[in-house]
This record gives sequence, C-alpha cells and structure tokens, in this order.
Amino acid sequence: MPRVTMATLPDYARYVIAAAEASAAHFPVTRTIRLPGLELTAHLGPGIFADSLGRAFIEAESDRPDVRRLRIFVGHPGIGNLPEPAHWGDAHFTEHGFAQKLAEAGLRGLHFHDLDFWQLQDLGQRVGVQLMRSADAFPPWEPGSPLRAFLHWEYAARGMRLTHAGTLGFDGKGVLLAGAGGAGKSGTVVAGLLNGLDSVGDDYVLVDLEGGVSARPLFSTLKQDPRGFARLGLKTRLGADGLLNWQGKHTFHIEEIAPRPIPATLDIFALIVPHIGSGGTSSIMPMSRRDAMIALAPSGIAQMPGERESGFRFFSDLTRLLPCYRLSLGPDPEEIAGTIADFLARGG
Amino acid sequence: MHHSNVYAVASKDIVFESFDGEAVVLDLSNGKYFGFSDSGSAVWQALSSGVGTQDLIGSIDAAALEAFVAQLVEFGLLAPSDAAPQPLPSDFPAALAAAREPLNVSIHDDLADLIIVDPIHEVEEPLGWPAVKQAS
Repeated sequence: MPRVTMATLPDYARYVIAAAEASAAHFPVTRTIRLPGLELTAHLGPGIFADSLGRAFIEAESDRPDVRRLRIFVGHPGIGNLPEPAHWGDAHFTEHGFAQKLAEAGLRGLHFHDLDFWQLQDLGQRVGVQLMRSADAFPPWEPGSPLRAFLHWEYAARGMRLTHAGTLGFDGKGVLLAGAGGAGKSGTVVAGLLNGLDSVGDDYVLVDLEGGVSARPLFSTLKQDPRGFARLGLKTRLGADGLLNWQGKHTFHIEEIAPRPIPATLDIFALIVPHIGSGGTSSIMPMSRRDAMIALAPSGIAQMPGERESGFRFFSDLTRLLPCYRLSLGPDPEEIAGTIADFLARGG
Repeated sequence: MHHSNVYAVASKDIVFESFDGEAVVLDLSNGKYFGFSDSGSAVWQALSSGVGTQDLIGSIDAAALEAFVAQLVEFGLLAPSDAAPQPLPSDFPAALAAAREPLNVSIHDDLADLIIVDPIHEVEEPLGWPAVKQAS
C-alpha cells in the first residue's frame, strides 16, 4: 500500500485528480446540483452516497449571473483507473500543516486516516476527487452534508463561508444561531419551524457579507436526539421508524416541517447564542462580541478543513457587523418560538 | 541587543482580532482560542505591539503582569524579542482605566486539533508515494 508524506502530498493530490479525470467516462452516475452561484456536477457510482446527494441539498434557482461550475468525482478502485487510496506515511499529522502544504500548491484537501478517505480539490481547475477504498468507505457523518468540504473550499475562495450555525427568520429577515453542540441550537431551529418561522438550514449555511450579512440554504438535513425528537412532537409528526444516524440522532429534512417553501436567502440582522436556561421562560439579552465570536468561530473552523485564517477573519467581520445576543431557552418549544418571533418582529 | 522585557507574537500562526476592545486570539497551528478580559486585552495589544513590560509597570501591578506574561509565553502566544521597545500607545491609559476585569486570558480548546500520530514504525514496507527508485 503506497504511503503519502508531507513532501509528496501535492504530487499525490494532482495524481489522484488526474486519474479521476482520465476515468471520467467510467463513472456510472452523474448528478447535477444547483446551489447558490454554483452548479456542482458529481460523478459517482450508485449506492448510499449517491442517494444522499439526491436528498441532502436544498437546490437554488438560478439566482445569480456569476454561476460557476465545479466537478467532483466520488470513486474508488474499480471505477476506471482509480488507484487504491494511499495511507498517510509521516509520523505526525497536523491538520494545519496538511492544509498549508496543499494551499501552497493551489490545492485543498482532507484525509480521514481510519478509512484512507481522501477529498482533494484543485481550485484553479475547479475539480475535486473523493477517493475511497470502496463505495461505502466514507466517514459516517458524510451523508448528512455530503461534499461539504468541497463546497467550503469553493465558497471560501469566493469570499463566502459555510458557517456552522442555525437560522430562523420571517419575511426575509433572520438571525444566525451559533454555538457548540448541546447548546440547544438545533432544537431552537426545529421549534421555530414548527411554529411558523422560516429557516435556511441548521448545521451548515452559506453566509455572505457582501452588501450586509445574508444566509442561504445548502443542506436540508436536520437532526434531533430521541429526547428532543419526542419533546418537539416530531415522533408523532414524522414517525419514529427511521434509523438513527451515527450520533444516535434522528435525521429528517427541513421541507418536512417547514411552514412554507425554503427562502432563497435571509438577511441576517443579529447573531444569537442559545443556551439551555434554568427552566423559566426564554429571554434574549445582549452579549459581548468577544463571547459571541468564541461561540461562533471555533466549531465553524474546526469542522472545516483548511482556510483557518480566512475563517477567523471572516467570522470576526461577521461578528462585528451584527449585534450579539444570548438566548436563554425555556422548556416549551412554542414559547421559545414565540420569543424569537417577537424578536424578529421587533427587528432586534 | 536583547531587551529582556520586550515580547513579540510567538509565530505567524498566532492571529488575533479585537471586538469592542476585547481580544480573541487563535493559534492556527492547533485550533486553540484565547479570550482576553478587557484589561488583558489592553495589555495584549501593548505587548504584541512590542511595548516593553517596564513601560506597563506603574499602570499595572508588577507581580500580576509578570504572571500574565508568563501565562502568555506558556500558551505559546508571546516569545521574548530582541527588538527595541516600542512606545506605549497613547490610548493605553484610557483603555486600562475603562477596564472592569482583572488581567485574565481564558483558553478555549474543546475543539482544538488532536495530534494524530501514525504508527509508522509498524509499517513493514517503507514505501512512500511516489515510490522512489533507489539508484543502483
């Protein structure tokens, strides 16, 4: 089994990308996904991953004149001349060093050691490859937001950002909900949707700072642990027959609970950091931008490979553009949604 | 000439931003975040700009400053510098006077990188990519 070191990493990335392009005619499935300002064409084989591409995205209308095209090959040995994915061969691996080495060559990449899973992208050529040992040898979190690293690299190069945040809004205006897992972000998004508010997504949304802060939808997947699923009434509404995901959570899609079609964009006017309150009613209070930044940025940067400094600068600018609030969550989903609806109606 | 009381940002991987006078620092190399109190932010801004610690004593308790600087060095945010000390920014006294919190920096490393060590010694065949042919 070949091994890749830091010294040979850029050459390996180019070798894999060239092998995929040379094998293009051998990929049995092609899917085109229309996202904000981007037409993504994925070449892959049939299976769970291809199925996830069909369900995981919220596709965009042709909303922008500057639509760019990105080709992604998702493959494994057996498709054309795709090689066996290589092992990592250096004693040490740091994500930052890995990303820097590729960036110096105009490349982006991610490597998940346990599966010899590679995602490699040539920004200039607008082509990427997800190379796996076999059709189902991908990390368990991939189907929830498939190809997100490629989207992250593509949009970051254009000054936008996949942001780890939830969203709620009404009448085109909205808020970003930021914070680490377990803070109540996802439950808040679901509570809002179930009570008449809009959302352009939870977990990862596309944020642009051009002409004010806006958020656009990319992924449709929502998640709830069984307790939240029951508390929010989803067990009754959606049934509980589906398999739990790798985190032991129910996964479902925003269209299943949204009160109306998903908006193409929300103009964001506040950054809100939710936390589980002490059992009283929900409240929204101002918080420092420093604390909001620390709630927003770490997960957004840690969960996305590369682009660390640009991410830090982006989230800093974002935080400075918005008033920041702490949302103390009460126990009643309807009351939480009402508190946010009042906040949205007031405009902050 | 070595100015023992002057420090500089430890590496190009240390990046920082200020929010309403409060600093947040990220170590790009490991993903650790550092949040500074208001007085800590003023001192960080001064030290990272090359102001010598001697010029801060008088505004700040010497022992507290020494402990704070030691912590910043231990975190890998500052390193001793040979540069000549820079003048104290004119807005430093006002920033310090407006501060309500003691000198403090908190570390946020829940999501910092794990350093993955590959068991290279268990790999029998030391074949790299691409395989390098040995000259015969």
